[in-house]
Amino acid sequence: MRKFLLTAIVVLVSAAGAAAQDKRGLVWDDRPTIVFAEDVTLGIRGRLQLDWRQFEPDIEEDTFDLRTARIGIQGDLTRHFSYEMEREIDREGTFGDWKDVYLNWKTFDRIRLKGGRFKMPFGLEQNTGPTETDFAYRSLASTLIAPGRDRGAMIYGELGRLVYEAGIFDDDGANAELEEERFVLEGEDLEGVGPSFAGRVQADLLRALPVPNRLKGANFGFAYTNAYVPEGLNSLKGEAVWGADFFERVYVKGRRQRMGAQFDWTPGPTGLKAEWMQSREQRLNQSNRNEDLSDFITSGWYVSGTWFITGEDKDDNINPRQPLFQGGIGAVELGVRFDELGLRSASTEGTAFTNPRADYQVPNSDRVWTFGVSWMPIRRVRVVTNAIYETFEDTSRTPIPGTSSFWSGLVRLQLVF
Amino acid sequence: MRLIARCLFAVAVVVCMAGGAVAQTADDFFNPDVLQRVDMWMHSTDWDKLKAAFQENTYYPADVTWNGQTVYNVGIRSRGLGSRSGTKPGLRVDVDRYSKDLTFLGLKSFVLDNLTQDKSGVRETVAMRFFTRMGIPTPRETHTRLYVNGNYAGLYALVESVDKTMMGRVFGSIGDNVQNDGYLFEYNYVIGRPWRFEYEGSALGPYKQSFDIKTNESKGDSAIWGPIEELVRLVNSTAAASFQQTVGARLDLPAFVRYIAVQNFVAQNDGFNGYDGMNNFYFYRLENSTSHVFIAWDEDNAFLSPDFQITTRLGDNVLTRNTLQVPAFNSQYYSVLLEAATSASDWLQQETQRQLGMIAAAMQEDTLKPYSNAEHAADRDTMLAFAPARVTYVRCEVAKVVGTTLPAGCS
Repeated sequence: MRKFLLTAIVVLVSAAGAAAQDKRGLVWDDRPTIVFAEDVTLGIRGRLQLDWRQFEPDIEEDTFDLRTARIGIQGDLTRHFSYEMEREIDREGTFGDWKDVYLNWKTFDRIRLKGGRFKMPFGLEQNTGPTETDFAYRSLASTLIAPGRDRGAMIYGELGRLVYEAGIFDDDGANAELEEERFVLEGEDLEGVGPSFAGRVQADLLRALPVPNRLKGANFGFAYTNAYVPEGLNSLKGEAVWGADFFERVYVKGRRQRMGAQFDWTPGPTGLKAEWMQSREQRLNQSNRNEDLSDFITSGWYVSGTWFITGEDKDDNINPRQPLFQGGIGAVELGVRFDELGLRSASTEGTAFTNPRADYQVPNSDRVWTFGVSWMPIRRVRVVTNAIYETFEDTSRTPIPGTSSFWSGLVRLQLVF
Repeated sequence: MRLIARCLFAVAVVVCMAGGAVAQTADDFFNPDVLQRVDMWMHSTDWDKLKAAFQENTYYPADVTWNGQTVYNVGIRSRGLGSRSGTKPGLRVDVDRYSKDLTFLGLKSFVLDNLTQDKSGVRETVAMRFFTRMGIPTPRETHTRLYVNGNYAGLYALVESVDKTMMGRVFGSIGDNVQNDGYLFEYNYVIGRPWRFEYEGSALGPYKQSFDIKTNESKGDSAIWGPIEELVRLVNSTAAASFQQTVGARLDLPAFVRYIAVQNFVAQNDGFNGYDGMNNFYFYRLENSTSHVFIAWDEDNAFLSPDFQITTRLGDNVLTRNTLQVPAFNSQYYSVLLEAATSASDWLQQETQRQLGMIAAAMQEDTLKPYSNAEHAADRDTMLAFAPARVTYVRCEVAKVVGTTLPAGCS
């Protein structure tokens, strides 16, 4: 960790000195960047998030958490290609998981291609980087239903006011990956999830309509994924904000489909976002008698509102109008979000059970209120304070069985370049 | 008139049919006179995985059918210590595993004992019936053919779980209050650490390890294990003169003496005074009381031999030794042995014979058992010979110890 911080500081200082010089060598181009030639660049980026957390009641989570430490490069290879590579750094200061690793062909706006490992086109919040989200944590639906990163290839572009993305991926996203060890019978072939298809369209649908100008910037999007899921305890699962399972995986086999809708509107210093998404997973031959079960359904949604009380425009890459030490206090944003994630079976006939092969599953859901204050004293530095209130439908399946509601809070220090 | 006659006839038929469909109970399920048939339906992969990972306690869902009644989505796992098997798994059936209010005939769970350590197939069930006959708290048991997904999975003993439901059955009610809210413990034999009731110190850790709490789990450690530490301490430190008064307030001593005497009579070598320390029992602190009682469990090592000494290891275990130092309990111990001999004299062999007859075909057809039919036949003969020889041996040995006239047949 110390090495990472030291490297970051050295790079920042040297790049800052070169920012005003000619566009060759190490320059400051939004981040420390080595410019080899026109349109051949290598930018260095880093992200660091340190959290201090409190829980009521205590759920035995650490008070301190190194939430994010990443280092990466991104840049251009001629005007036709761009690239990005980013990797996690763990608490011990060694490299962890790869994040984005892709090459992008961008010659035309109408049709572009991306190949490598990157986020599948599903979910507004999921496709917003962890240092750009309005709150410290994404909504549960964005974390657990939206697929996240995967290896694949995607075609995308802008057709007038319509933005489209469609890709084929190896699995079905990192968020749906199994983390638990699975018991495998001798000779049993452990199939992987996927391949999967994902697509999304986005447009400012109101732009063509006779509505007030402020409303014309409202953006709407619709997304869909489809993947094959092999037999096993492979369903999506319910995980509370701090990671405790409130709905364990069930046996599935067959198709997993996701549908999602998103709304994003940022008039002036305010922002209003909402998403709904649902996954339906088939359970072919999964009953105690090897018969088909009804689909397993995971649904989630959120609505959030934010307001820069210091007047910054929400649309911009946030830059405090009056930074600290330059006559101001920086930028301050207030926000509130309500989100919900629920898991259930399509069947509601007979007695409900919690067993992973029951046709009628005992439903459970987690409803979360998040109240936030973000302070950006200077560009690239952000202090996020969130208060989180969770309530569960089934009190026997919560972080502390028998307790249905939980308060938690965190203060996050975030550095980005 | 003809219409009225038809109506009356129809009503009579309905009444007769309804009368035939008598509601079935847990007593019917554990009826020792009936070889039951239990059908279990599990996903084929789950059954394979349960057998392959039989050393683990992973639960799998299943449907269970008995006598036309099906309970859906129960939880099943492999169970046992030395009896665990990947070919013929011992099974624990938790009816309420996936729906907390679900019961089957009022039961929240039951056990399917695979009989892998009992070549006769009846050691456990005969011993338990004898314990019941001698007034010792004992789970109900019978035999069953088990079918999994329509295939015969072998002959099993169907055993009532020692749980709150059984405590209610055994200890009854006071007014409307069922006496099953006490503290129930399963004794946990720790491999490599034989324990004979020596005091382990004031820290609760060792008692917590040996007595696995089954009810009132949410209570504090001192409420759960504190009284056990106190009991062990007092058993180890109380002088004989005040033993009955001091320890008797915390342990039903007459019931304890009866329990160890009957266990000796059936020549159980792996029980309370077992060859490697204590083993195979439940322990119950009665509701709103400081007093504890022993509950019999897992007697499939009984009937070791007819000449199993009546004083076997009586001096090894601190509780046994100190209790029997009290003259009244020493006298009671031998009285219970004689009472057991009288109770067993005709009954034990007849019961053994009856049970062996009841399971004969099911045992022969069980190809998954870890012993041959010839081995079963040999053990069957051993079991049948046990009762008359044991009765004579015990009567003779008791007479020698207490100094009365030797009965006929003594050597």
